[in-house]
Amino acid sequence: MEAIVFFVSAAIILAGGLGVIVLRNPVHAALSLVATLFGVAVLFIDMEAYFLAAVQVIVYAGAIVVLFLFVIMLVGVDKAEDIYAEPIIKQRQFAALAAAGMLILVALVGVAFAGDVTGQPSNEDMTISRAIENPDGTTTPAETSNINQLAEALFTDYVFAFEITALLLTIAVVGAVVLARRPKGDLQPLPDVEPSWALRKPRAVTPTEATDPSAGDDADQDPDETTVDQAATDGAETDEAKA
Amino acid sequence: MEFDNNWLLSVMTFVPLVGAAIVMAIPKAEEELIKWAALITSLVAAGLGVFLLTDFNYDNAGELQYVADAQWISVINSRYIIGVDGIALPMIALTLLVVPLCIIYTMGHFPEPRNPKALLSLILILETGMLGTFIAQDLILFFVFFEVVLLPMFFMIAVWGGDDRRYASLKFFLYTMFGSALMLVSFLAMYFLADGTIVGDEANTFSMIALSDGATVGIARTSQLWIFAGMFVGFGVKVPMFPFHTWLPDAHTQAPTVGSVILAAVLLKLGTYGFIRIAIPMLPEAAAAWAPFIGLLAVIGIIYGALGCLAQTDMKRLIAFSSVAHMGFVMLGISTLTDFGINAAVFGMVAHGLITGMLFFIAGSVKDRYHTLDMARLGGLLISAPRMGWILGFCAMASLGLPGLAGFWGEFPAILASYNPAAILPEATFRGYMVVAALGTVLAAGYLLWMLQKTAMGTPKDEFVDNPEITDVKTYEWIAWAPLLALILALGLYPKPLFSTTDDAVVKSLQVNVMDDVPDCLNLDTDQGEACFDDLREQFEAAG
Amino acid sequence: MLNILAQPPTDAIPTPDVAWSGLMPLLILSGGAVLLLTIVSLAKDFIPRWFTPIYTVLIGIATGVAAIPLWLRVTDTPSAADPNNGPFATLDSSFGVDGFSVFFTMLFAAVVVLVALLANDYLRREDIDGPEFYVLMMLSASGGIVMASANDLIVMFLGLEILSIAVYVMAAMHSRRIESQEAGMKYFVLGALSSAVFLYGIALTYGATGSTNLVEIREFLSNVILLNDALLLAGFALLLVGFGFKVAAVPFHSWTPDVYQGAPTPVVGFMASAVKAAAFAGMLRVFWLTFGSYRTDWQPVIYGLAIATLLVGSFVAIVQTDVKRMLAYSSISHAGYLLVGVQAATNEGTATVLFYLAAYAFMVIGSFTVITLATGPGDAKTSLTDIAGLARTRPVLGIALTVFLLGQAGVPFTSGFFAKFYVISAAADANSYGLAIVAMLAAVVAAFLYLRIMMAIWLDGDEVADPTELAAAKAGIPVPWGAAVVLVVTVGFTLVFGLWPEPMIEMARDAVPALAIG
Repeated sequence: MEAIVFFVSAAIILAGGLGVIVLRNPVHAALSLVATLFGVAVLFIDMEAYFLAAVQVIVYAGAIVVLFLFVIMLVGVDKAEDIYAEPIIKQRQFAALAAAGMLILVALVGVAFAGDVTGQPSNEDMTISRAIENPDGTTTPAETSNINQLAEALFTDYVFAFEITALLLTIAVVGAVVLARRPKGDLQPLPDVEPSWALRKPRAVTPTEATDPSAGDDADQDPDETTVDQAATDGAETDEAKA
Repeated sequence: MEFDNNWLLSVMTFVPLVGAAIVMAIPKAEEELIKWAALITSLVAAGLGVFLLTDFNYDNAGELQYVADAQWISVINSRYIIGVDGIALPMIALTLLVVPLCIIYTMGHFPEPRNPKALLSLILILETGMLGTFIAQDLILFFVFFEVVLLPMFFMIAVWGGDDRRYASLKFFLYTMFGSALMLVSFLAMYFLADGTIVGDEANTFSMIALSDGATVGIARTSQLWIFAGMFVGFGVKVPMFPFHTWLPDAHTQAPTVGSVILAAVLLKLGTYGFIRIAIPMLPEAAAAWAPFIGLLAVIGIIYGALGCLAQTDMKRLIAFSSVAHMGFVMLGISTLTDFGINAAVFGMVAHGLITGMLFFIAGSVKDRYHTLDMARLGGLLISAPRMGWILGFCAMASLGLPGLAGFWGEFPAILASYNPAAILPEATFRGYMVVAALGTVLAAGYLLWMLQKTAMGTPKDEFVDNPEITDVKTYEWIAWAPLLALILALGLYPKPLFSTTDDAVVKSLQVNVMDDVPDCLNLDTDQGEACFDDLREQFEAAG
Repeated sequence: MLNILAQPPTDAIPTPDVAWSGLMPLLILSGGAVLLLTIVSLAKDFIPRWFTPIYTVLIGIATGVAAIPLWLRVTDTPSAADPNNGPFATLDSSFGVDGFSVFFTMLFAAVVVLVALLANDYLRREDIDGPEFYVLMMLSASGGIVMASANDLIVMFLGLEILSIAVYVMAAMHSRRIESQEAGMKYFVLGALSSAVFLYGIALTYGATGSTNLVEIREFLSNVILLNDALLLAGFALLLVGFGFKVAAVPFHSWTPDVYQGAPTPVVGFMASAVKAAAFAGMLRVFWLTFGSYRTDWQPVIYGLAIATLLVGSFVAIVQTDVKRMLAYSSISHAGYLLVGVQAATNEGTATVLFYLAAYAFMVIGSFTVITLATGPGDAKTSLTDIAGLARTRPVLGIALTVFLLGQAGVPFTSGFFAKFYVISAAADANSYGLAIVAMLAAVVAAFLYLRIMMAIWLDGDEVADPTELAAAKAGIPVPWGAAVVLVVTVGFTLVFGLWPEPMIEMARDAVPALAIG
């Protein structure tokens, strides 16, 4: 029974995930994200982690995706996009490569499940490390409720991890504010070819050079002048290509 | 041992560095002051060198003297050990002589783009690096100094060099660094594999004294061969030996005159010195295995260098190729693994330093006057600048090994030594090398006389007739050259002092003196010799 | 009512003890960041511009100072007088305090101080809003401390995220430069992917060992023989991918050049020093310390990664023409050297990595300081021709950059020489002579890169003779006091430990990682 539920919900998760990246309409994509998140919630239930399942539905499917939909509709991009434009040259080929890489990764994980799984399902003992500390192990927690187990884990083994998540959230808020802020002033133009101060002008003989030993070689001695110009031209070409 | 004077070497080595700092502190405008400060610093160092030469105990030249041993990096047991013996002494003297002469020469004629402050401080830093390499008795210390010389020379070529200076300086730097990279791995391998406890040091040691006294005896033969190979590349690039030599002509041709002189006179010797001081004493067994190959490369170098000379049109490049040939003789001497051959090699190093340094000086002066070194355009130096012409002739004669001049005592004994190499080496092979090397001396005579004919003989070309720039030897040139010329003649007429200085140290460096009453494995026939080394290893393992 | 509250319920969860002293540096740094955020949001108009950098520097120094008593405590051996000496852990064994973590804490504190000094002028020059930068940087460095001290994979992951997410934002902070936005985006997308992979690795490792706690994992691995360890090995592989991305090891390096080129230069300095150090700290903690008994399984992989990283880092660098890209590839090849030290899988090897990271952090911050100043307003003129002749117009900057480049090339009398030497010696000690040779040869190839930059600043750009232009060029690069301090400190560090590396090596050796229970 467990296995059937697992495979069904896994199929829903994968289909939802595929929908997110394949569907052209952002609203549809967001909705298929809901399917994925629901599937995960079902998996949690399958593992008897009811609280997590509830949280998953309320927070992710409820709050976050709704927020997504809000933004999508607010910004007004709720229509199909032309996904055939290639902002990055050859991006499809690269994507194919990346996909191949991910497949290898998946295969690796597949191989992995041939290995011994030492971890125990959560309904027997959620805090595995505790069980190792007390090998007699018969002392199953009096409270079998998910919430209690979760609380215990959060405030014992993972209390530090729990606390420093605060830092992560702070960073997320600060980062979001920083990035969302409209830049002051004009956008900087793409770099010009001629730097403002670098000394690259062809040399004209002036009286100062005789007194200034740091001024350097005679112009006719420098074979690199052409190279420098060449490099400058190359730079210009690259910039054009970028633009 | 004598606490009184173990500061001498350190002071001598670091005086130029202090001088460099002083020179850098002087404002750029004070050119004369800068030059004099640099000259005085180098003379102070040379003065200490003269004191060293007089105070050195020549009866005990085989032992390290003025030893200082201080903690440096205790976690890897790398110590600040310095000392000087009969092999290092001539090299130190050569360095201390050449640097002031170079500074004097630059005072008279400064290479473009001038900036004396930078050039002179580089020369002084270079001097510290060279002296440090010769006094170091710890592998890490040696390596540090060995690497330190790279940078000043790199900048010297890159800033004050000829038209192709970038290429030449990069090539010089990368080649040498490539060699030292492998060398460092070899040093580390020796550090971990050798057992210093045999000679009363700590188990893992970089001390060159401990390692040459036999701490390496327990290293397996294959490991020894690999370690030696790493060092061979490191030192061989610096020498430069035949397949690694291609940086040399470029570096020499592009370097400013003083750069070429220092490069030829001292820097190349760091490689051969490394063979004599490190590779052979520490790994005699591997040295014996590699020697025929080294000898082969040496004679290839001799012939190749000579043929290369004949193909040159540029006078400086020709001299550079002649360096390859001459260093081939030095390496041939070393590869015989006999005291006779290595004495000859040390003599050859000194002689080559004096003679080739002198030739580069002359080439530099010719370039200043004619603004070209193209031998097709030169000619008639004897007419337009007779004294310089005669000096060039004198040096060419010295270089081709004319008896009575210093060059002879480097080449001839090296050839002779290869007639009778160490017993462990294949005699027939080395006799073959001897024949080829002797052929090389004929070629040397050929190319040097050819150069002389092209540049000194004949009549000046029309473009240079009555050119007011073409003057004879100037005062500053006389001051810079006279000591070299005098020494070439003096050592040629009376070579004994130098030979007797080096001999004890050379003999000691060839002894495999691990435990008492060991046979001299190098002096046994090939099979017996190898068995002898195996025996040693077994004895060592049996002893624990 | 009050009585009821005071009475603990009978089935209360026993919460773990907290050794506040061990957490002190972390609390100072992260608390300082949050406090700064509060101050600037409440009193934005009353705060002078100099306040934030000075505040950050002081917090950084305080963090470092708070680490000193810890260092003395954890590197000492327990004695009758001080039974508490030696490494310890707190918060149910999830936060370890040992020489290793304290060493990194001090390193991060130093990085925060240096980058804050450098950033002050930069932010003003580029007209970027100030306080957020410092807040993010301090938080990011706290993430680094968490990673270096983590005794639990979940904590390690959170540390990694705290460290990285802040840096993603910092990379994109120059909001008027499209390259900066692009760098932030790229770094974020690839970084998020690698974090996901890392998390997957944690899950698999948990599946195989039954715990996320490093102490328990190590116990488990040394006590239990897994008949089929495929799950565990897959976990190793995925964790390694996660770390490999952060340290910019080949083949997970592809973000590095673009991000280094686009991100604001001081941020790049922070990335190259702190992020790399933190990732290596995590890697050593997880692989050497926890999976030590499985070293025969992961050593060959790191061996391969090291070779690929060294070769790609040094060879691809040759064809670059942008200084920041060049230094990006150089940072890749440095990651290769560090992997050589990790691969040795010995305490000595760990010490070499620590020494290398410290030496490299100072050199790289110094280099990027010079680049920040030399590339001028706009942060975009970073090609080799743009900085040509730098040493002629500003000899001091030129000499400083030369010192850093030589240090990175591993030339004697710089700390970089001993860093390289020490790493290679660890490889030789572990009998990895092949790797040692490859590393040294890569050093030669990499030297070409540094020489090219040196040639550009010393030899190129000598065609100008117009005195007004020369004067303008000279006046074009003011060296503000903050950057001057950074340069003095970094050059000093590089040269002093190049001549006398002993104290630093001693310290790196004392900073042995340990997994304590507590």
